[in-house]
Amino acid sequence: MTNQNSASASKRPTTAWRLWRRNGVIWAALLCLLFLSLGLAYVQMGLFTPTVGIVIAFIKASLVILLFMELASSKALIKLAALAGLIFVATLFALTLADVLARVGGQ
Amino acid sequence: MSEVTGLLREPWEHFERQRGAGKFGIWVFLASEMLFFGALILTYAVCRIEHMDAFAAAGRETNIWYGTSNTAILLTSSLTMAVASQAAAAGQHLRRLVVAGLTLTVAFGLAFLVVKGFEYKEDLDKHLWPGAQFALHEPGAQLFYGLYWLITGVHAIHLTIGIALVGRLALLGHLKKLQLDENPEIEVTALYWHLVDIIWIFLYPLIYLPGRVS
Repeated sequence: MTNQNSASASKRPTTAWRLWRRNGVIWAALLCLLFLSLGLAYVQMGLFTPTVGIVIAFIKASLVILLFMELASSKALIKLAALAGLIFVATLFALTLADVLARVGGQ
Repeated sequence: MSEVTGLLREPWEHFERQRGAGKFGIWVFLASEMLFFGALILTYAVCRIEHMDAFAAAGRETNIWYGTSNTAILLTSSLTMAVASQAAAAGQHLRRLVVAGLTLTVAFGLAFLVVKGFEYKEDLDKHLWPGAQFALHEPGAQLFYGLYWLITGVHAIHLTIGIALVGRLALLGHLKKLQLDENPEIEVTALYWHLVDIIWIFLYPLIYLPGRVS
């Protein structure tokens, strides 16, 4: 049981070419997003300019987390561990920015 | 059976349990790393909200070509790391591919540090180290560069640790002193490497892209 996990047993044999192709597509998408964010940084869109940069960073990070780190196909426990990190970071940002942005707006 | 029993360590009785525990452990560690860098990035966000113009002026002084090249280098290192990790996990005797992927990852990691070194040299020449000699006049610009040196420095330390870990696997794999097929060490190291890449993905728009429109 231990030496043949169900994933590799059910699929066709993995070859170097198949691995490079599958991950190469993700890599190409990441580089396109990088150059997109570089180009858009020079476009005048007011407050949207920094927002676009951060949104693209989130898309790139999602690609890496879900596909390179294989979180999309990981067990629920692993997803929970990753989600815990995200939720605590989101809480940290939400509570702090709720205060800071309210002060800036009140000036 | 014999292949994976060589990788089994105390206190586990079954390899799958060991593998699952290792993966869970690294993800919990990565979650703590998200909080660590999250706090630094939040500090940056608060300072930027209070000093919008100064941060734009400071961001404009960073070298966009060094920053963009380094982002491309790290993204490519994540590709080679993912290929190495998946080739090892497949357990189909892809030793040469795993060793090649690990070696390339180390090479890209070192390339990043070399580019960063040139960038730091240029920053110091331009007097972008906060202090009495600081080049920019806006008061908030020193905050930007204080955070710039701190966050990129801590990131570089993380990357250096990653290079050491991946380099060890590459070396042992090359010398055939380590079983690569289904070795959980490779998967766990790859997850750490990808997180260091993700941190940089967020640093790129925060450090290099502000103030490009004017």
